[in-house]
Amino acid sequence: MAATRRLQKELGDIRQSGMKSFRDIHVDETNILTWQGLIVPDSPPYNKGAFKIEINFPAEYPFKPPKINFKTKIYHPNIDEKGQVCLPIISAENWKPATKTDQVIQALVALVNEPEPEHPLRADLAEEFLRDRKKFSKNAEEYTKKHSEKRPAD
Amino acid sequence: MGSQGGESDMECSDTECFDYDYYNNDDNEIEQIDPKKTDIEYFQCESLNEEQVERLLNETVELLSNNLQITPSLAKVLLYGHQWDVPEIVIDYREKSCNLLMRTNVKPTLSQSQNFSRYITCSVCVTTQSADKFYSLSCSHSFCKECWMTHFEVQINQGISTGISCMARDCAVLAPEDFVLKHLTRTNLREKYQQFAFQDYVKSHPNLRFCPGPNCPIVIYSKEIKSKKAICSYCKTSFCFKCGTEYHAPTECAVIKKWITKCADDSETANYISAHTKDCPKCNICIEKNGGCNHMQCYSCKHDFCWMCMGDWKTHGSEYYECSRYRENPNIAYESAHAQAREALKKYLHYYERWENHSKSLKLEEQTLSKLRSRINEKVMSGLGTWIDWQYLFTAAELLAKCRYTLQYTYPYAYYMDPGPRKELFEYQQAQLEAEIENLSWKVERAETTDRGDLENQMDIAEKRRTTLLKDFLDV
Repeated sequence: MAATRRLQKELGDIRQSGMKSFRDIHVDETNILTWQGLIVPDSPPYNKGAFKIEINFPAEYPFKPPKINFKTKIYHPNIDEKGQVCLPIISAENWKPATKTDQVIQALVALVNEPEPEHPLRADLAEEFLRDRKKFSKNAEEYTKKHSEKRPAD
Repeated sequence: MGSQGGESDMECSDTECFDYDYYNNDDNEIEQIDPKKTDIEYFQCESLNEEQVERLLNETVELLSNNLQITPSLAKVLLYGHQWDVPEIVIDYREKSCNLLMRTNVKPTLSQSQNFSRYITCSVCVTTQSADKFYSLSCSHSFCKECWMTHFEVQINQGISTGISCMARDCAVLAPEDFVLKHLTRTNLREKYQQFAFQDYVKSHPNLRFCPGPNCPIVIYSKEIKSKKAICSYCKTSFCFKCGTEYHAPTECAVIKKWITKCADDSETANYISAHTKDCPKCNICIEKNGGCNHMQCYSCKHDFCWMCMGDWKTHGSEYYECSRYRENPNIAYESAHAQAREALKKYLHYYERWENHSKSLKLEEQTLSKLRSRINEKVMSGLGTWIDWQYLFTAAELLAKCRYTLQYTYPYAYYMDPGPRKELFEYQQAQLEAEIENLSWKVERAETTDRGDLENQMDIAEKRRTTLLKDFLDV
């Protein structure tokens, strides 16, 4: 299966590269199509915590894009209450088979650090982000402290 | 004066003069009547089957590929990207072919260094194979044969054909037809690809429209792109050639779109208010409207009234039909916001109710026709004329539907019109047409004799009113 060979290679590369913003990658040996990991943002207000995500690859990978879900609650205009995230690089129309998972993760980390209120998934948060940045930051920080995972020591 | 008239009569009895005039007149009559000038709604279009469309498209492809000395496959990409405008593509190509090809995503904007090693690792499937198993588009992004094939299969199964692009990240270069077909081995997928591509080509062609009739395979061709009534010669569906929706004269494409969206948004309220039943204004018995005519007669007390305004029908006469016109409150600017909102809703409902009323009447057409059929049967059985004697009623019903259709589409037009003398004229003509077709409707529903003179006269008047309105306000 093309998906397995490619994912094994990608997983090895990512683990070797030692990405700081995406770590603790767990992959079940019997199912390489599901990855779990920890997003560690470095911009406030999200730099007070870490966020668990799950990446699901379809059987047709890399000809069809993976799906990403947040397992940790997050106060973010582009991520909804169910943990769904709107990331253009993995939308069906934009997907390119040669796009690598580390590029996808980099795009995701960039989105977490810099919300894009122009195309929000949560309109209420996008409005707050645009109208009253101070209030948004305060709310997001409190929410992060309350709900997010512990950041790795280093 | 009288003697002069006599003299001219005498002149004409002169044989030479008479003969000359006679033939001259005859010639004038033979001079063909140009439908473009006489019929405001005339529209020339052709109904083509798939084969004919294929031929038309291929001729254009051939023309361009011969003209520019490029492959037909590349010509297709260019035509698809530029609305099949051959002269423009030729000029652009001659001036700066590179620019044109980049804009159409035939050539890459950034050039990629080519790989000349003997073995290459495909970045999609991470398998290393000898270089001859690798292919690339003009952008030089190389991928192995198997990956191209799977990529095309997945894309085609998602309904994508002409839009399939290179597999490299951020590369928008399109895969031309010959490249795709070279990599597809399964015949059903090749067929699917060609089917989808055909759809894309027709949709991108400004002079072609798929007939919107259910399961109709016909494509309509017209030289002119106007919002006129195109009729499919195969399934008889008619539609506006420009926007592809239901024909909507005298309203413009953009306006009718706005109106339909508005109606969809507000339909709940409007539907609630304009229910299907009303009470007789005289005896208050509940009446359901089950036919097309607005001239109602209460089955209980025989009171004649108008369904639209509930007023006495006698006041409608044929002189001045008023209930199609909306009376705006002249002091509205000074009223509160709440009153203004209510006034806006009232205005909308006025037009919506009339629009909806005609639409409902048209939907009841089948019912009206079957009623007509059974009534004619009855007449024929009781010895009142033959079946053929009564046929004129069907012609009248057909004309009635045509007039009602135009009338229905005058309401959105009026709704979006700015107040002023032009709107007043429009609503006057609309009222006239409304009155005439109500007369016609009443007469069709109650025709008791085979004497058709009166009815035909009424038909003529109604059609004249309709064409006058279109001539004055249809702007295409």
